[in-house]
Amino acid sequence: MLVTLAIPSAIVCLYSLLTRGAYGGVERPWTLENFKLLGDPLYLMIFFRSLWIAAAATALCIGLAFPLVLFIARSRRKNLCLSLVILPFWTSFLIRIYAWMFLLRDTGLINTVLRGAGLIHDPLPLLYNDGAVLLGLVYGFLPFAVLPLYATVERLDPALLEAAADLGAKPLDALFRVTIPLCAPGIRAAAILTFVPCLGTYLTSDLLGGSKTILIGNVIQNQFTAARDWPFGAALSVVLMMLALVLMFAARRHGEELV
Amino acid sequence: MKRGLALYAIAVYAFLHLPLLILALFSFNASKFTLWEGFSLRWYRAALADADLVQSAINSLIIAISATALATTIGTLAAYALWKRSSTWLAGSLYLSLVTPEIVTGVSLLAFFQWAFRFLHWKLGMHTVILAHVAFSVAYVAVVVMARLRTFDPALEEAALDLGADEFGAFRRVTLPYLWPAIAAAAMLAFTVSIDDYVITSLVAGIDSQTLPMTIYAMARRGVNPMLNAISTMVVIVLGAMVLMAERLRSS
Amino acid sequence: MNRRMFLLGAAGAAACGKTKPRLNVYNWSDYVAPDTIPNFQRESGLRIRYGTYESAPEMLAKVMTGNSGWDVVFPAAEIVPPMIEMGLLQKLDHSRLPHLNVFEGIFRNPPWDPKLEYTIPYMDGATGILYRRGIAPEPEAWADLWDARLRGKITMLDDPPEVFAACLKRLGDSINSGVPDQLRGAARLAMAQKPLLRAYLNAEVRDQVIAGDVWAAQAWAVTAGQAIAAAPDRLAYSLPREGFARYCDTVAILRESRRGDEAHRFIDYLLRPEVGASIAQATQTATPNAAAQRLLPAAMRENPVLYPGEEVLARGEWFAAQTAASQKLRDRLWTEIKSA
Repeated sequence: MLVTLAIPSAIVCLYSLLTRGAYGGVERPWTLENFKLLGDPLYLMIFFRSLWIAAAATALCIGLAFPLVLFIARSRRKNLCLSLVILPFWTSFLIRIYAWMFLLRDTGLINTVLRGAGLIHDPLPLLYNDGAVLLGLVYGFLPFAVLPLYATVERLDPALLEAAADLGAKPLDALFRVTIPLCAPGIRAAAILTFVPCLGTYLTSDLLGGSKTILIGNVIQNQFTAARDWPFGAALSVVLMMLALVLMFAARRHGEELV
Repeated sequence: MKRGLALYAIAVYAFLHLPLLILALFSFNASKFTLWEGFSLRWYRAALADADLVQSAINSLIIAISATALATTIGTLAAYALWKRSSTWLAGSLYLSLVTPEIVTGVSLLAFFQWAFRFLHWKLGMHTVILAHVAFSVAYVAVVVMARLRTFDPALEEAALDLGADEFGAFRRVTLPYLWPAIAAAAMLAFTVSIDDYVITSLVAGIDSQTLPMTIYAMARRGVNPMLNAISTMVVIVLGAMVLMAERLRSS
Repeated sequence: MNRRMFLLGAAGAAACGKTKPRLNVYNWSDYVAPDTIPNFQRESGLRIRYGTYESAPEMLAKVMTGNSGWDVVFPAAEIVPPMIEMGLLQKLDHSRLPHLNVFEGIFRNPPWDPKLEYTIPYMDGATGILYRRGIAPEPEAWADLWDARLRGKITMLDDPPEVFAACLKRLGDSINSGVPDQLRGAARLAMAQKPLLRAYLNAEVRDQVIAGDVWAAQAWAVTAGQAIAAAPDRLAYSLPREGFARYCDTVAILRESRRGDEAHRFIDYLLRPEVGASIAQATQTATPNAAAQRLLPAAMRENPVLYPGEEVLARGEWFAAQTAASQKLRDRLWTEIKSA
């Protein structure tokens, strides 16, 4: 089991130290050349932008998910409500993104309705910008936030909240001082499970962003496909992975394991 | 506050399901393009008549169920083992598995399989896809279950041991019931990730393991195609019905 | 489903030998007519396992290892020389391809595979500009896609070789150029164009042009053909006067395949004029098969989008493979363009 998990990472590290084969694949000369990217402002900027978008998407996801999870945990039909959240995600991600494109296009549903109602004159540019990408990311990664949060919120003892109320705390106070600290492991898990895949995403920015901005996921993807420079792609991945690991370790409380 | 939460929840559900409703609506569109031209079931007929499509849907289901079962089991055990005895190796490999971008996992698994197959005389196929899915879902399961374990009082298990239960019994009767909602949530996550995966699956799939996301991706790239709407609506209805049935069984 | 039993069963079946002769064909999606494969299966008694892929590098990655399980693949012309060099393709036995003489002109002796030793041309096309009639300017040259009057309504293909091709042609250079200065000049052009662009889109631009979201798009001939068929009075297609890129997809047999006989039969079947015509009509691409062209309905045969005529095609240039150094520079420049 350990083996299966570690293998892809081991291979990636290996590849990053090799040289590009003529038409893809890897070849013998071991080299550190691929890591020169660390000094290259172009790639550093792309890393930074990806981090920023992933962080924004994660924050939005958790912010949106938390009240929802509170609702589900207290409802009588917990599993049903949870399933209703997850159900849309069992249809193809791609199709749902296309549905959003249909909604957001200049001649799409939202603009058509607004223009028909006379509320706007020219179509709103809802598609092919950063906002659309963020919307797509939040939409795509919400279950990654909802499910881990649910795992901890569910066991929250309502008696604790009653006790807080008895002691004179207002609901909002109770939220911040009782609920959230108790659910901290779940929040951290949700943050990891959302932030990390978001860092490596590329499809959403391609489709909803019109492929105009490039995220680190796009660059890596490109190396393994059109550019056929696997070692460089591997090197980029190694840097990305190290970055994510560093952030995860930095986020943990002193002395406590994150997972 | 309760009313506010309920309203908020409704808003979120609407946000989540809006694209689906649009898709469903246009799956009944008689025209191929986005202008409404009358009610028709032709796309449903076309989708069901397409044997390859149906086969890829079945493949996806088989893979998702197998991978979910395996990943949930392994992941839960991994989380439990990690909780009982902190191990840098195990934690490290879980982390690494999480942070690896999909395309990288896919390419490296492909390379690994190709190398291993020199000794095993296998080819790429359903089994490689399942293995790949398990490989990347285990970490998700472990993280979710672990979060729940963090809120569990070890004293409870110790008490069970003191009362004469063996380790496995203690786990089964004390810890497991407590973990159950987390395990269910983790299984749902694993299923979700598996049934919709395109990148890794397309790389390690063999000649007999076309999955639904691969078929959908191919069709979607050509542009608007109401058959896709029909497919996704059917998937939602089928899986939704299964979920409702499961809920009905559970509460009865 | 018990995976172990499935594996044992599969191993057992493999050990017993094939129950019915089979052929594994790996093609781009949407690249045959609905009845092409069933007809062949009926006629030959062979069972076809038909798989599809979405990107050439994906296919290459699987096939490069030498035991992908596929017999027949459809590589694009520019990766044929590398594939031959890597020893991935089997030499074709022309004596087993009686219909081989359907090609005329350049397709008898294409630059990527002279004498058709390893591959057979399958479908071809060119990249031009699909646009909405009545806009100002009506694009007849790549330079028109840099016109500020079309701001926000232009798209280019999300395909590095194609974007470079357009820019290089605007500068008067070859689309396959590996000269760093030329490539950098092309990249500067692309970055200058970016603020005017709506997005980088491939085949999905078709619906947007029809709907009117996009006014001018760099598009493949097949996409343009489909769009114009859907809205003939509103749309048009031009092959720019500075020159343009031509592409050709071919069919080949993998060296790892042990079903050479069956593969040759399949390829010969594809070469038949009526089969070629049926595929061309279903997929709305241009077929290099001259005999098949003659069987097409006049409307299609004379469609300037798909068959613009030799004079126009003379301005076109075939894609060729890049050297490693040139590829690396192009890739870096593409990243710079995208992050501008």
